[in-house]
Amino acid sequence: MIAGLALIAGVVVGLLLRPTVPHVLEPYLPIAVVAALDAVFGGIRARLDGIFDAKVFVVSFVSNVVVAALIVFLGDKLGVGGQLSTAVVVVLGIRIFGNAAAIRRHVFRA
Amino acid sequence: MTSRRSTSATELLVDLVTNTADPGYAAAAARRGKDAPRRWFDRPAVVLGCLLVGFTVAVAYVHTHRSAPEAAKVHNSLVARVKTAQESGDALEAEAQRLDSEIIKARQRALPGTALGARLQRAQLLAGATPVMGQGLAVQLANPPQPTATPSGGRPGSTPIDGAQTLTDRDVRSVVNELWHDGAEAIAVNGVRLTPTSAIRFAGQAVLVDFAPITSPYTIDAIGDSDVLVTSFADSDVAGRYHTLTSVEGISFSWTQERTLRLPATAAAAPRYASPAPTGSSR
Repeated sequence: MIAGLALIAGVVVGLLLRPTVPHVLEPYLPIAVVAALDAVFGGIRARLDGIFDAKVFVVSFVSNVVVAALIVFLGDKLGVGGQLSTAVVVVLGIRIFGNAAAIRRHVFRA
Repeated sequence: MTSRRSTSATELLVDLVTNTADPGYAAAAARRGKDAPRRWFDRPAVVLGCLLVGFTVAVAYVHTHRSAPEAAKVHNSLVARVKTAQESGDALEAEAQRLDSEIIKARQRALPGTALGARLQRAQLLAGATPVMGQGLAVQLANPPQPTATPSGGRPGSTPIDGAQTLTDRDVRSVVNELWHDGAEAIAVNGVRLTPTSAIRFAGQAVLVDFAPITSPYTIDAIGDSDVLVTSFADSDVAGRYHTLTSVEGISFSWTQERTLRLPATAAAAPRYASPAPTGSSR
């Protein structure tokens, strides 16, 4: 409940503030979004499994964003940034799908 | 060796697809045991995490939708500038043609019916300096219809590069040259009159006729003995080649015999370096 409210509050704050993304951080925005979605779905699944842990939720989100951004940053320096950001999106995307499937099994028992 | 490596790689992929749950949750639950008491930071941490997630998503949304209209704005302003430049160019050309026709009238008043006047008129006709009309041949050439627009994989705001244009300046040029060869006396391409100094070139995706960009479909109007033009053109290699291309590449190619064609004058540039040689010194 409170999590949903906080999520909506975050969206509203983002829409109201309309912060300008620094040019340097622009390439990492899509990765941050995918990592955020992964954290949300992972959290919901853990909640439904009854093993949700707030600390793990926050730490996994932040570390996912940081590690993914680091990988892409390194890739950019070595000339494989595009491929590595694809890799990050693919891996996190697979996790999102898997978690969404687990949530579906929990909710619909199907 | 190779098979073992490939199985381990496969296992990695299978593991990636099947074990999607973050092992951190299971580990934390095992460490703390069932029904562990709530810690003081549980609630604030969830709130903070959800705030961050929502904020990130909203920022990404705003960012994506803000940069797209800006790219469109730049594009629109460039298009507007090109259009104004084209309009002022057209206006200047119309002004030049009006002044030219005044000059012609003044000349005709000054040299009424003399042999010199007739020679001048003939020279102007051949140079494309006066509008002409007469019977002739109109040739239509058009690129194959574009396939349905496929979404481009580029970033928003980037211009997709079209597939290679089938028809280029070479095609327009070869038709024009064939028409000159068949006895045309005056030719215009998409309403741009050709003069002895005209050039047909290719720049980017547009064919340039005397620096005026024209696009497909190309209409090439030629004034001349229309019967001779039609028969010679139909017999020519050029016509045969484009007939073949019609079935192979899907271009459209046709010609019609016209009883009256009207070709505009060109704002002929006066020669700056060439001057008439003294008579009798021709070699």
